Amino acid sequence: MNREFTAELKKRIEEITARYPSRQAALLPVLHLVQSETGFLSAEEERAVASILGLPPIKVREVVTFYTMFTRKPLGRFHLQVCSNLSCSLADGERILRHLQAKLGIGAGETTPDGKYTLTEVECLGACEQAPCMMVNFDYHGNLDPEKVDRILEELK
Amino acid sequence: MVKIFLDGGPVEVIEGTTVFKAAQQAGIAIPHFCYHPAFVPEGSCRLCLVEIEGSPKLELSCSMVVREGMKVSIQSPAVREARRAVLEFILAEHPLDCPICDKAGECKLQDYYQDYGLTESVFRESKEKREKKVRIGDKLILDRERCVLCTRCVRFLAGITKTRELGLFERGIHSEIGGYENEPVRNGYSGNLVDLCPVGAITDTEFRFKTRPWFLTKGESICPLCSRGCNIFIDYHPGFPRVPGSAKVYRIRPRTNEAVNGPWICDHGRYGYVDLQQKNRCEKLIWNKGPRTTTELSWDKALIVIGEKIKALRENGKTGRISLILTTWLTNEELFLIKKIFKDGLGVRNVSFADPAPGTEDGFLLRADRTPNRRGAREMGFEVKPADLDVLARDSDILFIFGSSFAGGSNDGAWKAALEKVSVKILVTAHLNELASAADFVLPAATVAEKSGTLTNADGRIQRIAAIARACGDIRPEVQILLDLAREIHLDDAYFGALTGPEEVHRELAKDIPFFGARP
Amino acid sequence: METKVLTKGFELDHLFRIGVYLDQGGYRAVKKALTEWKPEQVLDEVKKANLRGRGGAGFPAGLKWSFVPQKTDKAKYLCVNADEGEPGTFKDRYIMAHDPHLLIEGIILAAYAVGIHTAYIYIRGEYELIARRLEGAIGDACAKGYLGKNILGVGFDLDLYVHRGAGAYICGEETGLLESLEGKRGNPRLKPPFPASVGLFQSPTVINNVETLANVPFIVLNGAAWFLERGSPKDGGTRIFGVSGAVNKPGIYELPVGTSLREIIFDHAGGLKPGRALKAVIPGGMSSPVFKADEVDVKMDCDCVAAAGSMLGSGAIIVIDDRTPILDVLSKVAKFYSHESCGQCTPCRLGTSWIHKIVKRMAAGKGRADDVDALIRLSANIKGRTLCPMGDAAALPVLAIAKKFKAELQTALKGSA
Repeated sequence: MNREFTAELKKRIEEITARYPSRQAALLPVLHLVQSETGFLSAEEERAVASILGLPPIKVREVVTFYTMFTRKPLGRFHLQVCSNLSCSLADGERILRHLQAKLGIGAGETTPDGKYTLTEVECLGACEQAPCMMVNFDYHGNLDPEKVDRILEELK
Repeated sequence: MVKIFLDGGPVEVIEGTTVFKAAQQAGIAIPHFCYHPAFVPEGSCRLCLVEIEGSPKLELSCSMVVREGMKVSIQSPAVREARRAVLEFILAEHPLDCPICDKAGECKLQDYYQDYGLTESVFRESKEKREKKVRIGDKLILDRERCVLCTRCVRFLAGITKTRELGLFERGIHSEIGGYENEPVRNGYSGNLVDLCPVGAITDTEFRFKTRPWFLTKGESICPLCSRGCNIFIDYHPGFPRVPGSAKVYRIRPRTNEAVNGPWICDHGRYGYVDLQQKNRCEKLIWNKGPRTTTELSWDKALIVIGEKIKALRENGKTGRISLILTTWLTNEELFLIKKIFKDGLGVRNVSFADPAPGTEDGFLLRADRTPNRRGAREMGFEVKPADLDVLARDSDILFIFGSSFAGGSNDGAWKAALEKVSVKILVTAHLNELASAADFVLPAATVAEKSGTLTNADGRIQRIAAIARACGDIRPEVQILLDLAREIHLDDAYFGALTGPEEVHRELAKDIPFFGARP
Repeated sequence: METKVLTKGFELDHLFRIGVYLDQGGYRAVKKALTEWKPEQVLDEVKKANLRGRGGAGFPAGLKWSFVPQKTDKAKYLCVNADEGEPGTFKDRYIMAHDPHLLIEGIILAAYAVGIHTAYIYIRGEYELIARRLEGAIGDACAKGYLGKNILGVGFDLDLYVHRGAGAYICGEETGLLESLEGKRGNPRLKPPFPASVGLFQSPTVINNVETLANVPFIVLNGAAWFLERGSPKDGGTRIFGVSGAVNKPGIYELPVGTSLREIIFDHAGGLKPGRALKAVIPGGMSSPVFKADEVDVKMDCDCVAAAGSMLGSGAIIVIDDRTPILDVLSKVAKFYSHESCGQCTPCRLGTSWIHKIVKRMAAGKGRADDVDALIRLSANIKGRTLCPMGDAAALPVLAIAKKFKAELQTALKGSA
């Protein structure tokens, strides 16, 4: 079964492809766009993107599986990406991860049963001066401690 | 021309040559996985690193172009140490599968690790566990633990067949080769992936677990399954004395010839060849006398009986009532003897051909003409046309049929009716089918693997085949059958007596017809 | 006392609005260069200023620009490396978030100097909100005629686009970036050929870091001599050092190139927490070999740090105090490179994984007596043998930690099986 993109989405895809001399170059931005609409990139989305860009589907999957921000499985509504790299670790970033694991009852790489939260460990987010930090979807939160984390989760609707 | 020094020895190469190719030219082999002459240098395996005077780092010989006066060290301690290190990395995650891996004996990793003395592992961690039996094609199995990620398979499917069935997924240590969803590699050239893979990651189900390369004798030959005439190696097991049926051709592999097939062969040829060698073989002389078949026939007896029949027609000046159905599977030497014996010697006029039906050409190697020597037949003056069944039935007392294609194709049942009207039918073939029961005499002939001679491909290239497999049972090469027949009927004892084998026949052929004077 | 040139504007609210930027005298450099200077003059000035790349390699920007052929019938491209994946680095985020027009100006000047008419900002995917701000700024700049066709009426065209990455450190390596921009896996390419001749879409390409380009407007406005005065003779200007880790005041500090590392840590970033002693400092992002506590009296310019056995890299200073076991640091290093290896070449793909496995085992208390020597040997086997510089980036930090802190690591091993 093939996913059909809406006219609006197709228009935005064409706007993106117009920036490059090759349609393949639009692949990463288009995958971001599609993933933001559908939540994840299954074989259906891969084939649809491949078709629109004139690529074999296998080339799309090669890219989807290379980059960590593309997901082939659905994620929770709020993707809690906790930095596990050096500067955050020096600020006891592990404490943040452990706190979330205990609070949400899931481990790193898992999603809560109600589909609200997915918890992952990520590499350096580029916000080391605010260590420890995490990214919720695209929002950066730094200088975290368990209390602040709780407040952030409260506000996530 | 550019002059460089490889391990001190001067070598002259044309401008633009890579260090790797220059070394090859000088007979120095440099270890490699990802490099392949058919592809642009990849530079990922890092095995071909060499030392170049003036360069602080080791350089890749596969992609470095020579410069005048360049001094290259290929076997220096630093280079050997670097190679050893790269091999050690690969071996760290490589499964100890040699005892069960088909590639053992022809595996580059095995060859290299022996050369570099890596017999003790110091890797004490857990190896990555990966899938070991992924069916990626009709006859292909991928073992991801053995894969060294040279990506030759991916690049072959991207650049040569352009079908892109395989890709590279994930990243880093988790990288793996795979297909898209369950789509198999199926493009008529899939067998080449097995040859391409430097280790036993991609194996052939036709060869898997059947034998070991060190039991096999290798012979050079030509694939006869179409008129391209791809150059091949035949891998033949000479058999064990006490094990019946153990002698056989296990597989064929491409033999690189830049002018004909490059380094590839198609699946039709690769897998068809082994079938040709093994399936439905005619191994015994058969004399169909009436309702009860007799197999008690020796070659001497067969030649005498057939010889008599021909003599009878000769005495009555009726050799025109001998007809021939030939095939363009016959070698140049066989066709030449047929010409000398039947056309020139006996005045036979009724000559036609029965061949396998043409297929579709695939735009790469496989040609529509599925026979190897149509050009040869034409150059020899034969008109390659099918038999007129009515003429056949009416004008033939003795009919020689070479090959078994007459029983197939558009002839349908009409051939049976035509044959019934012919008094003596002699079938000379390597394969049995319904034609055998319709013939009076069945003379078992050799396959391409079992005889020597030459074949002319569609481009007019004359190529040699050499007997590699031993013919068993009553099987004889057609050259021998024809020469024996010529002697039996005393056609021209001086001429035919001097011809002892295909080599001499070819010399006569080259004398008679200049086209065949070109060196094969 | 800091020297605020690049970061001066960060104090202002809404500098990302073009109106505010123009009020502050923005786009004067573009006006000056495009209306008064020939492209070669811009290139020469930047060359004389010894502007070194601030992404990691420290390659002189002017020299890099001069490698692009002036006359070619291929389109030329400028790629702005905003991937900022080097652990410890966050300076480019500040520039793009607070002063995107400064970057845009730098881009216009670089493109003008080399004769480029299409530029892409390759920004890491995680900086989505920053990407949107950049796109807004680009839209505003277009509307005001600083981008697009016939800029300032001098006949110079430039299209600028934002292109998002998707979470791969290797796309910060210039040829990995090119592959990713072309819509493929971020596998670095063999060099030669170099991007200046065969780059994006097989065409001549310049790739520069965000901070590098952000300096160009100041060089154009104030001249190469002014720029050199602010730094070192072979390494001009100021740099935005990013300090993180065990300091009291982590953050960005714009200081002259050549400032002492000790000064940055103790005088600017507030020094260590009470009761702690300095153990180690990573001077230029995780890929730079670590300095011990007694090695921090080094001038932070490309050549001095290199002479001291490390690299200035991205100027990202990570401070480690005596409360952190060095094995923890090593664990993070080993995990990062194994995770980020693209997997293309043998030594990096297999070597980083092997090293990671050993370090994990050590951290789990199951280390063996010869593990540290193994780490040294394996790192040395990766170094210099990989397809791209990430091999060295993975190997040198491990090598430095294993050698310089061998005693501490060995002691930790004694406690295990």
